[in-house]
Amino acid sequence: MAARRAARTGLNGLFAVYKPPGVASIRVRDTVETLLLKELNSLEQPAVQQQVRFLPTTVEGNAGKELTLTVTQLPVLAAHPLVRGPEFTHLKIGAGHRLDTKSSGVFVLGVGHGNKLLTDMYNAHLTRAYTVRGLFGKATDDFSDTGRLIEKTTFDHVTRDKLERILAVIQGTNHKALLMYSNIDLKTQEAYELAVEGLIRPMEKTPPLITAIRCLQFAPPEFQLEIQCLHETQQYLRKIVHEIGLELKSTCVCTQVRRIRDGFFTLDNALLRTHWNLQNIRNSIQDSKSKVKVGLQRSLSCQARSGKRHTDMDQVAESKLHSTEGMSASDLTHKMR
Amino acid sequence: MAPAPLLLSGSRAWPRLLGTQRGLLVQGLQGARRGSLGSQVGQRGLQVLGPPGGLLLLLQQGLSRGFAKVAKTRSSREVREAEDSAPVFQYVGERSKRKERVFVWGFCHAGALGIPSFVKPDAGWKKRRRIQPTPYRLDTAEKISSAACGYGFTLISSKTTDITKVWGMGLNKDSQLGFQRSRKDRTKGYEYVLEPSPIPLPLDTPQETRVLQVSCGRAHSLILTDKEGVFSMGNNSYGQCGRKVTEGEIYSESHLIHRLQKFDGRVVQVVCGQDHSLFRTERGEVYSCGWGADGQTGVGHYNITSVPTKLGGDIAGVNIVQVATYGDSCLAVSDEGDLFGWGNSEYMQLASITEMTQVNVPRHLPFKIGKIKDAACGGTGNAVVNGEGNVFVWGYGILGKGPNLMETATPEMIPPTLFGLSDFSPDTRVSRIRCGLSQFAALNNRGELFVWGKNIRGCLGIGRMEDQYFPWRVTIPGEVVDVACGVDHMVTLVKSFI
Repeated sequence: MAARRAARTGLNGLFAVYKPPGVASIRVRDTVETLLLKELNSLEQPAVQQQVRFLPTTVEGNAGKELTLTVTQLPVLAAHPLVRGPEFTHLKIGAGHRLDTKSSGVFVLGVGHGNKLLTDMYNAHLTRAYTVRGLFGKATDDFSDTGRLIEKTTFDHVTRDKLERILAVIQGTNHKALLMYSNIDLKTQEAYELAVEGLIRPMEKTPPLITAIRCLQFAPPEFQLEIQCLHETQQYLRKIVHEIGLELKSTCVCTQVRRIRDGFFTLDNALLRTHWNLQNIRNSIQDSKSKVKVGLQRSLSCQARSGKRHTDMDQVAESKLHSTEGMSASDLTHKMR
Repeated sequence: MAPAPLLLSGSRAWPRLLGTQRGLLVQGLQGARRGSLGSQVGQRGLQVLGPPGGLLLLLQQGLSRGFAKVAKTRSSREVREAEDSAPVFQYVGERSKRKERVFVWGFCHAGALGIPSFVKPDAGWKKRRRIQPTPYRLDTAEKISSAACGYGFTLISSKTTDITKVWGMGLNKDSQLGFQRSRKDRTKGYEYVLEPSPIPLPLDTPQETRVLQVSCGRAHSLILTDKEGVFSMGNNSYGQCGRKVTEGEIYSESHLIHRLQKFDGRVVQVVCGQDHSLFRTERGEVYSCGWGADGQTGVGHYNITSVPTKLGGDIAGVNIVQVATYGDSCLAVSDEGDLFGWGNSEYMQLASITEMTQVNVPRHLPFKIGKIKDAACGGTGNAVVNGEGNVFVWGYGILGKGPNLMETATPEMIPPTLFGLSDFSPDTRVSRIRCGLSQFAALNNRGELFVWGKNIRGCLGIGRMEDQYFPWRVTIPGEVVDVACGVDHMVTLVKSFI
């Protein structure tokens, strides 16, 4: 009993799992919950409570059968596991930014008191990084390679140079939209200083914005992009790939969308399917506790202090946050510097 | 025509494929798609590649059956076969050329943008447009190689050997666009030219000479050719056209286009200031003529110069590779990256070397900002680009470092992160800088245009009417090759992406 309760109390916080493609994220959340419950319920069974009962029995006496009371020890039915059922039937596990069925990658879950941190992470408006693979030559109705074919085109004129030109324009227009949606008065000196440091970011709900995009691999007909974005959906990223195809006067479908970073959590922190057990999850929660706490504190305090806008001091702190975010993603991609 | 029916009867898969895709195939042929960035995916050069036999003719047969099809789930093999046999479209060949385009924006009423429907709407639902706040495409007959914006008018030129090489639009009250014969009255000329109209140049060999560059000032313009010198037209009340000032000359509806050929060497660059003109020869010498009350002619006195005169001072003997002016102050760049300035210094343009507000002799500006690659002079502020691609500004007005920096005598650098430098693109540099009267425009090596300054009548092209205190990107569907800034409008020469 005590071991179980102890195990349960340690299970409060945020952790990341790797969601495989082809599975809905709600199913992933349910699976994690089921596995955790199974493990918690299978921990050492405490001994069933016993009670002493004086039960009437018949005993062979002198003059035939006689009623006497015999001492017996019986298990208390009210405390029997077969009567009560498993001790833990429900765990509060919340899902962070969801991934749709076809995509894969880092999926943040919160357990117990960590669900409150999920709301805080949502309000911190942190960026997420994806690797997106595209295929030239066809266009489909849902922008992915499993959709209904709309058109096939040639793509022998597409070179890496042309693709990077289009990506530069996408990055430029999104950067401009970033400044416009961040609700800052552009005529102030503060706006100039924030623009120089690149720290202007919207802190409220906006349409999807791409903060950075670049080409990692190019081997026609396939290519791979790294996209860092805000407030996006995976279907929006597929649409971006489709529109890149249109801009290049060809067509393109998206074959893979994979999230490599969600706020502070990267692929290194995400647990694979074989590691979804109690011990690993507890370790993961423990490891990420400190950076989650620090990060959320910073962004929440600066939000509280200045309403919707950032002040200079917190911008410096935010810039450190940005640099750590960028650093962890660059473990997976080649370093630019 | 013959093969088509055979194909229809031969394969059973075709009708179904075409039935589902017929609408889309037709759209691919007839419609022009627009990508999200606004560039048009046209249908020029569109070919349908696929199984031989005239697919286009199959479409014309009309394959609708008139009754609903029974829905059937297709096996993955059927889907794959249908996909493999679908026709492949080719929108652009392997070695396609990028198209050249011209985009304009700013104040419309004078006709300087060259789109007549802004001033005189040609459809009932169109309204007269006072300002075009974002880039608008201008259709030109030829590929435009040089453009210049004056005060309410624009000149664009092409390097063609055809008869028509230069077009002008906008204000023509001083014949700065030459004589534009009115169609209603053959003896009179237009005061406002609403669309790009050819300027008849009195060339000796019109089918061999090419126009290299055009430049526009307040009410005069200069056209540089490769073999026949410089042509000047427009107002000459200060001698800015390089000919003697005639008392009481009427400049409107004038047929006079003056040719300037008396230079020591071939002229390779012409620039117009507000009421003066500068000429740079291939030997690195600079000539000037026009109004000199601010010393902008740089010839040592403050009077009018009506004949192009060579400049001395600190640029005597120096090989000058670029001159720049737009208002009343001038800058010159030597081949070694040194900077020289003269003219108006009321706005601290030359305050680093002298207290005088008018400098009539070119003086060396000893700034320690590296080798200068490109310089631009505005009405009250100056900007240069050094060898590393950094932009330096000084003078008075909105200089580009926020509202706090309104005047400085020494150059201040604008941080390169504002011009697109980031972790993901660390080799972005500014390659060109241009100045209007109170705006700046910078081009980086990725073909992006950044503007800042006073947003007079929407001339910045950012979609807003407010002034812009730091460099802001202009969204143009193409890679910007060159930009010309005027008082209240701008013209850009752009190459399409693909």
